[in-house]
Amino acid sequence: MTIIDINNIHKHYAATPVLTAITLQVAAGELLALLGPSGSGKSTLLKLIAGLERPDSGDICFDGTSVLALPAERREAVLMFQSAYLFPFLTVAENIAFGLRARRTPQAKIRAEVQRMLELVELPGIEKRYPHQLSGGQQQRVALARALVIQPRVLLLDEPLSNLDPAIRATLQSVIRRIQREFKITTLLVTHDLSEAIGLSDRTAILLDGRIVACAAPEQLFQRPPNRTAAEFVGVGAIISGTLAGDQLQTAHGPLTVAVRSPAARPLTCAIRPEHLYLSTAAQPNSLPVQVHERIFRGEYVEYTLAAGADQWRAKVFQETERYVPGATVFAVLPPEHLFELAGPPHE
Amino acid sequence: MSWLRRTVIWLALGAGLLAPIAVLGVYAFSQRWFYPALLPPEWTASTFVRQLTRPETGTALLNSSLIALLVSLLALLVGYPAARALELGQLPAKGLIYALLFVPTVVPTVATGIGLNILFLRLGLAGTRLGVALVHLVPVLPYAVFTLGGVFAAYDPTYEAQARVLGASRWMIWRRVTLPLLLPGLVVTALFAFLISWSQYVLTFLIGGGQLVTLPTLLFTTVPGGNQATTAALALVFVAPLFVVIALTARYLAGSRVRGGELLLQ
Repeated sequence: MTIIDINNIHKHYAATPVLTAITLQVAAGELLALLGPSGSGKSTLLKLIAGLERPDSGDICFDGTSVLALPAERREAVLMFQSAYLFPFLTVAENIAFGLRARRTPQAKIRAEVQRMLELVELPGIEKRYPHQLSGGQQQRVALARALVIQPRVLLLDEPLSNLDPAIRATLQSVIRRIQREFKITTLLVTHDLSEAIGLSDRTAILLDGRIVACAAPEQLFQRPPNRTAAEFVGVGAIISGTLAGDQLQTAHGPLTVAVRSPAARPLTCAIRPEHLYLSTAAQPNSLPVQVHERIFRGEYVEYTLAAGADQWRAKVFQETERYVPGATVFAVLPPEHLFELAGPPHE
Repeated sequence: MSWLRRTVIWLALGAGLLAPIAVLGVYAFSQRWFYPALLPPEWTASTFVRQLTRPETGTALLNSSLIALLVSLLALLVGYPAARALELGQLPAKGLIYALLFVPTVVPTVATGIGLNILFLRLGLAGTRLGVALVHLVPVLPYAVFTLGGVFAAYDPTYEAQARVLGASRWMIWRRVTLPLLLPGLVVTALFAFLISWSQYVLTFLIGGGQLVTLPTLLFTTVPGGNQATTAALALVFVAPLFVVIALTARYLAGSRVRGGELLLQ
């Protein structure tokens, strides 16, 4: 059980900053997801922790001790990549044994450990096969076994599931979660998939342009993203700015009652999730007039895109009682208890 | 009809590639074979045996083998880091460097040879096997670096990173990961270096100064003698080891048949 402390890490390639002022703590046994689009620097952060690259400044500590001086081969932070990178000329058993060989583990122990690991990843009996005889999902399972067999202090997963079919991906997600809980191994998972981050992690950090814009438990991050950037990333229905006085928010579209109060007038930006915003033909308390722009059938729900002045809003309707046609003027109802405040952009 | 097509293809290949060698064989074992006889009137192995058992032939075979092996080794030692840096390091002007590498193959060998002869005489390398091997590197290295460049272009160094985070030392990474992954390419490069070195004449002659006898220099001094059977017998001695070398490395020439080659195609 290792605590990872990442303290004010900076990293740039040539003139391009890749990571800026990254500070993050991962608790012992925690699974933290790093969520971000490609090019956000999340893979670079994993390489820095693994020791494959060096930060320009800042420090990385395991259990309070800096590991920057430790070379990758002695850091015991195992990185798993998008592809399994099983050594093609070695059998499954030899692949899993690789890290133990490097540690000069006795042969009998190696054999027992390989067996145990294959059972753990639910692939018993394939010791003698070669990687090219395995499916993509099986390859990643073997790669997971190869990483875990050395009992690393830290497990770093760089989108190890992104090349797999959705069904296999879902199974492997639960395999990873189960093993991670069982081993209580501190884990960082890099992903660009919001649902994967939310479904697997204890906490999720959103990384955009090399900065952490939010870090919270998945539910909180999803329901109450702390700022505008995070809100846009997890997808909200509407972002509304105005002046707050008492519990009344004066917006460009009309007045709204909100759950926050301020005795003195101050600017406020708040947001609402698309599933909490609903439509009505008649004006209701806390509703604003909008124009229906598009109605999209998404299977489990119907998505409306709405024009509120120059802003575009979204509403997800799960039980459609009334159908609104594009061009119609309707009222978007924004229940006060679902409107939450957004902080200004961080780092400004 | 596919058997017919296959037969035709094999016949054409055989005629084009093996017929010249077959003619050598016929010449080497013929006796008193003059125009207009279609086939030799008499056959004998004595010419061939005489050439094979000449002490010069043995010396030449030994020299040629030692030099070609040394050239292969040196080509790998120099070409490996060069090609790795060219393909995996972020080098600017990669194309220009490759182009410059090939300049020595454009300059006439005689010019390079005479120039280096003076230098090697001063260094005491002229007339030695090492000197000849070094000068063979002039035509060998461009091809070696180019071949290895292709090997590294298809190589994914992430395997090494993966081995590293699993705790492997540099030596273990090289021995257990890099070498097995690159082996087919290294063998093919060594083969090319061997073949190019084996057939060098001018450079061997200039640097060897006539004291160092290799199979090509022996062959060239025999040709003016005018005895076609002798020439053909020596030519067979020249060609035979190459067949052995190619046969030994053949499984690496078909790159995709190598175990695990599939993964390199990903």
